[in-house]
Amino acid sequence: MQVEIQHGPANAAARVILNAGETLTAEAGAMIAMSGSMKVETTTLKKGSGGVLKALKRMIAGESFFLNHFTAGKAGDDVWLAPTLPGDVTTLDLGAEAMIVQGGSFLACEHQVNVDLGWQGFKSLFAGESVFWLKIKGPGKALVTSFGSVYWVDVDGEYIVDSGHIVAFPESLKFVVTKAGKSWISSILGGEGLVCKFQGKGRVLCQSHNAQGFGGALGPLLRPRN
Amino acid sequence: MRSKIEGAPSFAYIHVDLDPGESIVAESDAMASMDSDLDMKATFNGGLVSALLKRFLGGESLFVNTFSNNTRKTRRVTLVQKTPGDIKEIALKGNAICLQPGAYVASTPGVRLAVRWAGFASWIAKEGLFKLFCTGQGILWIGAYGGILFRDVAGAYIVDTAHLVAYEPSITLKPKLAGGLFSSFFSGEGIVTRVEGKGKIAIQTRSLEGLRDFLNPRLY
Repeated sequence: MQVEIQHGPANAAARVILNAGETLTAEAGAMIAMSGSMKVETTTLKKGSGGVLKALKRMIAGESFFLNHFTAGKAGDDVWLAPTLPGDVTTLDLGAEAMIVQGGSFLACEHQVNVDLGWQGFKSLFAGESVFWLKIKGPGKALVTSFGSVYWVDVDGEYIVDSGHIVAFPESLKFVVTKAGKSWISSILGGEGLVCKFQGKGRVLCQSHNAQGFGGALGPLLRPRN
Repeated sequence: MRSKIEGAPSFAYIHVDLDPGESIVAESDAMASMDSDLDMKATFNGGLVSALLKRFLGGESLFVNTFSNNTRKTRRVTLVQKTPGDIKEIALKGNAICLQPGAYVASTPGVRLAVRWAGFASWIAKEGLFKLFCTGQGILWIGAYGGILFRDVAGAYIVDTAHLVAYEPSITLKPKLAGGLFSSFFSGEGIVTRVEGKGKIAIQTRSLEGLRDFLNPRLY
């Protein structure tokens, strides 16, 4: 599997080139174009095995119920994938360690990568994020999307990331939901509210923009629904 | 202090590296990530009265945040605006610049922020009743929805409503019909802003109001 990311960071799309018989698993609705000889199968879980429960769990995490599996009919067949919002697409090379992906950011992965629900407990509920995150486990490649451009933060000790800016982080990093400033009053008045404080050693993938922040700026301008 | 704007022009954000003892002021909720030992403190956006005016009449946030490095090492904070678009740096050397509501992203501590009455002309031009008046010594970061164009005005220049981001105090704003009565209504330009005087202006290439007018008829 070969991945080319084009038109980033504003309008990124991923071109995935497959060998004959190779399979890519993608979020439903992510495909924008593909070779005519590509075979597509839609399931609730892995190709060839059912799993309504896992699909339900994925749906809870803000992803779609169904996954599409693209299998190349011949070598060099390609499929183009893109998210809905403007922004970037990033390739994650998964080693032995699992990564936690923010609900909504998962785009696609190699067929052998396992996608499951990662329960982050009540702490993420308080961070204003979806309670459920996806846990992806390799080895293999996965594609994630972001609202805006992305940057990596090397955590060695402690680092704070505003909850709306997290795309993915390794499972071994611990995080606590906490206040951004020294005092609660300052954190709440300053509009930062609750943030995630990562602890340990590892790399966090952050997105430059916060979809909720943009929604907050645009929302009041829109007319109410009938 | 060292700063770097990345992701421009579509999704600009600022990496700011603060040396020990340094600090930076930023718009409420502008922090995307930071070293956990930076101190963050919320203060009124230009004093209590000024902040209240800005909040309730100018639509700006009540508070700004000051990030201070009280450690012995260089520490990083990453700042961003709410909308996609570009961020530009303006150096102030005792001169002043007026910002439209929503344009302020961050500034170094030597920059003073105050609210000034922008006048009904500005309000009719959909640019807000109040403006943020920035003076002092230091660096100011302004943001926009879309790209940012700078123009040196000498005499008069016409800017579409809601596209003016910043202007020097030597510039005055006057709302104006885009053309004659007929073309103003049917050209889709309507009211425009006539800027007069001698100085620099900043224009954004998109406007949230434009997006609003595109989206609203399509919502069900």
